[in-house]
Amino acid sequence: MIEIIVNGEKANIKDELNIRDMIKALDYQQEVFAIALNGTFVAIDAYETTTIKADDNIEILAPIQGG
Amino acid sequence: MTKKIEQDNSWEIGGKRLTSRLLIGSALYPSPANMEDAIKESESQIVTVALRRQAAGENAGNNFWNIIKSLNINVLPNTAGCHSAKEAITIAQMAREVFGTNWIKLEVIGDQYNLQPDPFETVKAAEVLIKEGFEVFPYTTDDLVVAKRLADVGCKILMPWGSPIGSGQGLMNPSNLKAIRKQFPELKLIVDAGIGKPSDATEAMQLGYDGVLLNSAIALAQDPVKMAQAFKYAVESGRLGYEAGVMQEREFASPSTPTVGTPFWHQFK
Repeated sequence: MIEIIVNGEKANIKDELNIRDMIKALDYQQEVFAIALNGTFVAIDAYETTTIKADDNIEILAPIQGG
Repeated sequence: MTKKIEQDNSWEIGGKRLTSRLLIGSALYPSPANMEDAIKESESQIVTVALRRQAAGENAGNNFWNIIKSLNINVLPNTAGCHSAKEAITIAQMAREVFGTNWIKLEVIGDQYNLQPDPFETVKAAEVLIKEGFEVFPYTTDDLVVAKRLADVGCKILMPWGSPIGSGQGLMNPSNLKAIRKQFPELKLIVDAGIGKPSDATEAMQLGYDGVLLNSAIALAQDPVKMAQAFKYAVESGRLGYEAGVMQEREFASPSTPTVGTPFWHQFK
């Protein structure tokens, strides 16, 4: 297991997961979202080829009201 | 018999032809249903949205997004809350994927007290985003030189504030807004932020601005749906007034009723 930060909170996931597997492991329910890894946007096409490492900082953002 | 003035009131922004010049926010309404009703009543064709963290088990974002999609109008995602060009660029890239649009309301805040935009980081982010194919709607102050820098990096749209976000103070500095309009006749100019009353929106439109973007003024009204209607008419009225050409101000009174034939003229002294 490795420790990562997801949306500002610590989480533990199996080592060597790609982004798609990580989303499943976190049981993330939003249907529409986008991901940034260590402050950099990761396009949906790259989810399976991007591996999560220990101490990675992940932002998963979903639509919300805005002005 | 009066004849209704026939006119094409459509305009173009960001590659889209629209009829409404009111851009509306989707936040702060008493309920999602109220938001939906207010947006419909405003007849706005551009609604602003945002991206935020949501807990793993929550589904609120999907419900909100489904309402917005059902309105079938243009979505303008914002980068609200960003404090650096890097953050804003990342949020813009994420928003493009989620919302399926290259439009981005670029907000980079430089001061937390009055939410004043950071002009240096805003220009830096705008330059990168334009190169990446975004249509940038930059939230800026009414500073003419900052407007020039944004235009220099390729912005076709500028959104100077009327006054700080959510303050409802109206147009703090109309003469600065006027100067920007005069200097950039070719750019699309939207007054964004600070609008409180319908008359503030009318004033902005009378200055020749192409549109007005507001959220709190409608959402925080006692009756947001009725206020949405008020702003729809206020924006239309201001635009018509601008197009019709406002009369020259005069220093002294000038009677509007003809003086020829005035009764009792010189009769009583």
